[in-house]
Amino acid sequence: MLTSKKPNLESLTSINDDGSRYFLHPADVRGNFTLWRRLFGALLLAIYVLLPWIPINGNPALFFDLAERRFHFFGLTFLAEDLWIGFFLLTGLGFSLFYVTAIAGRLWCGWACPYTVFLEHIYRRIERFIDGDSMKRRKLDNAPWTKSKAIRRIVKHGLFILVSLIIAHIFVSYFVSIPRLYEYMQQSPLNNAKVFGVMMFLTVCLYFAFSWFREQFCIILCPYGRLQSALTDDDTIIIGYDEKRGEPRGKKSDPNTGDCINCSRCVQVCPTGIDIRNGLQLECIGCANCIDACNEIMDKTGQERGLIRYDSLNGLQRQKKRIWRPRIALYTGLMCLGAAVLGLFISGLHSAKVELIRMPGQPYYVTDDGVRNQYRVQLITKQNEETSMKMRYSGLPEGAVVSGIEEEFTLKAGEESMKTLIIMVPRASFTGDFSFTIEADVTPGDFTITDSIDFLGPSAYTLNQ
Amino acid sequence: MQKSSDTSDGITLRDHVYDGIEEYDQKLPNWWLFTLYITMVWFVIAWVAYYQLPVNAPTDYEKLHKEIAQIELKKQAELEKMLASLNDDSLLEMSKDPNHTSAGQAIYESKCAACHGVDLTATLGGVNLPGVPLNDSEWIYGGNPLQIMYTVTHGSPDITKGMIAWQAQLSPSEIAQVTSYILSKQTAPPEPALKPRTEI
Repeated sequence: MLTSKKPNLESLTSINDDGSRYFLHPADVRGNFTLWRRLFGALLLAIYVLLPWIPINGNPALFFDLAERRFHFFGLTFLAEDLWIGFFLLTGLGFSLFYVTAIAGRLWCGWACPYTVFLEHIYRRIERFIDGDSMKRRKLDNAPWTKSKAIRRIVKHGLFILVSLIIAHIFVSYFVSIPRLYEYMQQSPLNNAKVFGVMMFLTVCLYFAFSWFREQFCIILCPYGRLQSALTDDDTIIIGYDEKRGEPRGKKSDPNTGDCINCSRCVQVCPTGIDIRNGLQLECIGCANCIDACNEIMDKTGQERGLIRYDSLNGLQRQKKRIWRPRIALYTGLMCLGAAVLGLFISGLHSAKVELIRMPGQPYYVTDDGVRNQYRVQLITKQNEETSMKMRYSGLPEGAVVSGIEEEFTLKAGEESMKTLIIMVPRASFTGDFSFTIEADVTPGDFTITDSIDFLGPSAYTLNQ
Repeated sequence: MQKSSDTSDGITLRDHVYDGIEEYDQKLPNWWLFTLYITMVWFVIAWVAYYQLPVNAPTDYEKLHKEIAQIELKKQAELEKMLASLNDDSLLEMSKDPNHTSAGQAIYESKCAACHGVDLTATLGGVNLPGVPLNDSEWIYGGNPLQIMYTVTHGSPDITKGMIAWQAQLSPSEIAQVTSYILSKQTAPPEPALKPRTEI
């Protein structure tokens, strides 16, 4: 009989005393949480696969078009210069993670992290399918090399590589779009060496991570995992073992023992190799495998479920439970503030752009007729159809002549153009520098975008000498 | 060093204590150490390659400037190739090709018309625009096709006039197209008698 290692609090189960790796083979588990986790994982995988295929406003739902430097985000189009919005995306994602963690611990890790989703719902499934259950897998690991073992290994790793290639291709399609990816795939890799290189690099990383590295990433490398102890408190809902009810461990028939019958099912199913009964540990990714495993045993022994359950440390200690606490209130306030600011900026973003830039050369020109400033106007439409713009100017003095841009004109779908704009102000009207505004009424969309710039000149006194 | 098995799980503790904090004596994961060894090996390779061998591996700064120089060379080559195939006659030929003149017209209308007028008369609704008319036979800086192209490329020699050098914004072929459009609008006198104005 092959014995598995007994987890302790002092060292990692997955690392042997000599520093070598101890491969974990978590046992199969059934139950409500497992079912919901599988369904949720399938949903996330479907989203990952399908997003590049779903067109919104003529572009894929998520398409980071690096070649054109346009970023399509569920119908919104961002240009490279809108990249500062990414600040909100990154801090927002980070903050959401903190928020969720304060309330419910490592919910992200166990349920939604791509690493876990790929590992648990694809790679481990393949391994289970080829090599059998936990016992069989461990036995096969330790068995001498035979023809059948070699075939199993080749098939398993072949499938791992195939899946890694598929995931990497889908990832690349977020940046080059499906049609272009398909086009690239029919050509020699050397034609698109960079894209091919990224794809291959990703494949190698995925294959390495999910065939060998596995839980080591969550336990040792992932910065989010390392931050846990700073983000949770005694009211955070975690997966915990009810010590008061379970201890001391022993046979059910013995009246002096608690509810834990010491079957160690919770240890066998753990993907990071801990014993949840030792309390909250940094290795725990909150996958809920141990909850399902324990509940199954409790059902069999006719005891109440929930010896291992989602609860706060206070709850497990039979103390008052609090979800709403000052920390959460503060986080909620900050979250709303961030969301409001983001909303404000997004609503100020338009699907077209007008920007005035001073033309190189002299800042102003003085002629017999008056003072002249020369500008360049950058006109961009991010819309996928012909866009018409109607120009108005405000803040110009009496008799000013505007030349270079028609009052109404159209831009082709997605066109970017740079036009010359000349403003001439008669000597009599010029009383010094002023600022004027260009207003463009854009259709379709029916919105107005504005941009202001200074009109420069000599002092009015000098001009009239 | 004396080793003691202090914990119930047989984990060895180092024998130093600081402020009541003790240290486990456990080995790092081998894969972790392996990443450390890779950096050591890499250091030796980099040190030998960059500092010991006469291999002049370029720094990032040098690489950047090399690439910029290459881009400049490419631009220059394109310009020279363009100029080699261009002369007064070929520009006049271009001015009869609607493909070139329509492309030139689009550029003209977005960049040049502000000063020289959409109809090249340098007027807008009766108001004089800052530019000079381009539809007459009077040329301040020379009316030969190549001279016109030169003026578009480098701008007016008199910087107080406001005609900027367009070479920063238009490629040589685009400038040739604009020139061909302007030439196509010359009505009188007929080509090739566009004579430069002599008194400048």
